[in-house]
Amino acid sequence: MTEPLLGIYIHIPFCRKLCAYCDFVRYPFEEALCEAFLKALCVEIASFEGPTRAKTLFLGGGTPSILTERQLESLFSCLFKIFEFSSPEISMEVNPDDVTAASVQHWERIGVNRVSIGVQSFDDATLSKMERRHDAKGALHAIDLVAGHFNNWGIDLIYGASTKHAWQETLNITDSLSPPHVSSYALSYIPGTPMYNATRARMEDDTVLQLYQDAESMLARYEHYEISNFALAGFQCRHNLIYWKNECYAGFGPGAYSFVDRIRMANPPDLKDYVEYPGRKAEVTQIDLFDEEVETLIQHFRLREGISPGYYEKRFCESMDKNFGAPLRILMERGLLESHEGRIRPTAQGFYLNDEIGLLLVK
Amino acid sequence: MKTPQENIRNFCIIAHIDHGKSTLADRLIEYTHTVDERKIKEQTLDNMDIERERGITIKSVSVRMEYTAEDGHVYELNLIDTPGHVDFSYEVSRSMAACEGALLLVDAAQGVEAQTLANAYKAIEENLEIIPVINKVDLPAADIESVRRQIEDVVGLPADDALLVSAKTGLGTRETLEAVIKRVPPPSGNLDAPLRALVFDAVYNTYRGVIVHLRVVDGSIAAGQKILFMAAGIKYEVDEVGSLQPDMVPRPELCAGEVGYLICSIKTLSDTPIGDTVTGADKPAREPLPGYKEVKPVVFSGLYPAVATDYDELRDALEKLQLNDSSFQYHADSSDALGLGFRLGFLGLLHMEIVQERLEREFGLTLVTTMPNVAYVITKTDGEVMTIDKASQMPSPGEIDVIEEPYIEADIMCPTQYLSYVIDLCKRKRGVHVRVDYIDGNRCMAVYRMPLAEIVLDFYDKLKSGTRGYGSLEYRIIGNQPGDLVKLDILLNSDPVDALSTIVHRDSAVRLGRALAQKLRKLIPRQQYEVAIQASINKKIIVRETIKPLRKNVTAKCYGGDITRKRKLLERQKEGKKRMKQIGTVEVPQEAFMALLRVNEEDND
Ligand SMILES: Nc1nc2c(ncn2[C@@H]2O[C@H](COP(=O)(O)OP(=O)(O)OP(=O)(O)O)[C@@H](O)[C@H]2O)c(=O)[nH]1
Ligand code: SF4
Ligand SMILES: [Mg+2]
Repeated sequence: MTEPLLGIYIHIPFCRKLCAYCDFVRYPFEEALCEAFLKALCVEIASFEGPTRAKTLFLGGGTPSILTERQLESLFSCLFKIFEFSSPEISMEVNPDDVTAASVQHWERIGVNRVSIGVQSFDDATLSKMERRHDAKGALHAIDLVAGHFNNWGIDLIYGASTKHAWQETLNITDSLSPPHVSSYALSYIPGTPMYNATRARMEDDTVLQLYQDAESMLARYEHYEISNFALAGFQCRHNLIYWKNECYAGFGPGAYSFVDRIRMANPPDLKDYVEYPGRKAEVTQIDLFDEEVETLIQHFRLREGISPGYYEKRFCESMDKNFGAPLRILMERGLLESHEGRIRPTAQGFYLNDEIGLLLVK
Repeated sequence: MKTPQENIRNFCIIAHIDHGKSTLADRLIEYTHTVDERKIKEQTLDNMDIERERGITIKSVSVRMEYTAEDGHVYELNLIDTPGHVDFSYEVSRSMAACEGALLLVDAAQGVEAQTLANAYKAIEENLEIIPVINKVDLPAADIESVRRQIEDVVGLPADDALLVSAKTGLGTRETLEAVIKRVPPPSGNLDAPLRALVFDAVYNTYRGVIVHLRVVDGSIAAGQKILFMAAGIKYEVDEVGSLQPDMVPRPELCAGEVGYLICSIKTLSDTPIGDTVTGADKPAREPLPGYKEVKPVVFSGLYPAVATDYDELRDALEKLQLNDSSFQYHADSSDALGLGFRLGFLGLLHMEIVQERLEREFGLTLVTTMPNVAYVITKTDGEVMTIDKASQMPSPGEIDVIEEPYIEADIMCPTQYLSYVIDLCKRKRGVHVRVDYIDGNRCMAVYRMPLAEIVLDFYDKLKSGTRGYGSLEYRIIGNQPGDLVKLDILLNSDPVDALSTIVHRDSAVRLGRALAQKLRKLIPRQQYEVAIQASINKKIIVRETIKPLRKNVTAKCYGGDITRKRKLLERQKEGKKRMKQIGTVEVPQEAFMALLRVNEEDND
């Protein structure tokens, strides 16, 4: 078999303001710390061992758009020294506040070809509740600039933080703006976050489901290709598809994960640790064949297209029916999966109750 | 060296639960140097794990001690420490048959309690010399004078020479030993008569097989001798005899008056005729000793492996456990809802809990237990009489002429300020008033007859909570009485679930049915489909509760780092689900099968 093409992930762990619901690996921005981090990041990238041909690059965070032109350029040159990209998708997550005519031009110039804007909502009350830095106007302005330079761009939205009405309004505006890609996540209350501590009344499951279904129906022009993701034809996020198909990827930066040759590795999430010992792993797990098979199925069933038995057989040299026939049949009987044009894929309910699918597949 | 018969004393320690029997036994063992000092821990004789964990005695244990008394003679003292809990009172009766005397312990702060009285009466019936001992005199709350009065007024024993003891500090230990020697008569058997020995207990030892505990009444028994179990009619050759100190110490022979053990290639405890008389096979005695009433289980419940494939393991575990504890019974059983399993009979609820816990812990099993119940005797309209120990065996109402249930007579002791609560509780539990005795100014004892089924349900918990822990209960089975009983069925998605059926009194059936359906609604987790829970009496639905379907269960984001974590999380959840039983399409957690025991938890009166 030819060497698989990697997805490369870079984690930029700084934000100017920490949002109330977020539990990502991120730290308040500090100039000096950021410099030290970037130095460590380059050391980690340079010390990478493994396949070097890649098909995607994704700058996530945190806030990658916090980086200056110079910083971005030196990061890219680090990357290009090690990795060989063939017609790559190069994505960057940006914060609306960081989007200016100059920054947009610069991103385009250095090779970024996909921009994902952290809009979250077009409702000011919702935005301030989540303690975001920008308001709706700022988001619209950012979208304007980005859409002017990139044809592959998208926005991130969050629902469940405020009213149904505010959510529908956000969806309406989204539809009118027609971004090629929309990610729409349910707000999760994560223990330890200020939002979790401050909110006593959680939204009922039924209500959250309604909001989810609002997105489904109001973004009907889009292909609902993954549980939380919508795209116009040809604009699916290639990088994230690597995760959902459980293919190989290399992650750099604090808390980033890699999965190469059936070994899953995690970087330490602590920035100090990371800067002190770049490249040192916090966790190295050998995934056995069965676990890889299970994880591959679970991930594929997040995708509307599901999985084809032929793909499975080619990848694992075993029959999907032999290994998982019984649970798959039960899941079809329960109406969570269906067979469609030779593939097995989740139904609409299979999206809402996706964890039930995984529950039946694991040991 | 052989002890002359007049220097032997056989006695037991009896008391209400927790009054300090095992702790006093520690002091006596220590004082007589029976056990290496380093090996003495708290309640040394409670050697089962479960006894040590729960701090209670389940099994009687006998110990032989040697004591040089103030009169200069060496005495052989055979002590039996007994359990205090009502479920194990049969152990106390057995022990008494091997003794001439009893130390009746009374907690100086708590006074005479229900089991104090019950055990004292047993000892009087057995003609034992009773020595009242007031224990825990070190406690600040000790009220020696009041306890002395209670012993005289309630138990009816003279108490001016009651011993004052602290088993904790060791105060009164020597006095206790001296009192045993002076007041308990030596055994009166005839050494020259043909052998007669009473089998009063037996334990199973992994290496040695069955160890028979016996009290030699007449004659003597030695290794190599051919013996006959008189009632069973089985002969054996004696492999070994000896004394329990408390470890087994082999001796050449055991003589009239002595207590000890016997090993004779008996394979299982259930083959051991407890209460039987051992005699010489060549020169048998003419009359056996009086034996025991057989102890019969009164509480029954189903036991099923949580995972069906563990059935064989459960069967093996039951077999092995019964080697150690022959007081529970079991037979293979099956349930439509739970599959293949066993039906077990126990002496009471604590006994049930203990057997279940030992099965789970000592054999690593995960079990589903069904709601305990009593046995019912049903006379059908065609004259046939049947005994059933589970609700699903109940014939249809049209076929039943009379249905009878076991009744108990309960002695409930409590401070007088709680009497009205106790009376009210007994009434609600279908109790029939017998009498109330006033013990002294502030305590009394209510005697009620009531169905055993009510005790099985929640009587004891209610008694304890309603009397702030001061109420104590003793009961004995007094026979069956007819009752207006009906079968309460639970249906999940319209299918009756046999393992959730119970037999209840008609008057409380509707209330219990409602409460049970509600409890189940809380216990059964939401699932993909709606679950309807119905309760029915004689096929008539009386209540319906609904569990709304699970609408949404999805992890919004799942990227690179989340995959393995998510799989492991799912695996853990699945592990939890393994403890659930799939009934039709519904996943039912184990607790649901015991839900009736907990229906009244919230609506506390
Ligand atoms: N203060 C004080 N506590 C005592 C004394 N004797 C026993 N205890 C405590 O009372 C509790 C019960 O003692 P046990 O010896 O287990 O009582 P028991 O009568 O054998 O109990 P069961 O066998 O379960 O009926 C333990 O916590 C003992 O430490 C005493 O003289 N003084
Ligand atoms: S900007 Fe993004 S990464 Fe930073 S705190 Fe907010 S949600 Fe978290
Ligand atoms: Mg004890």
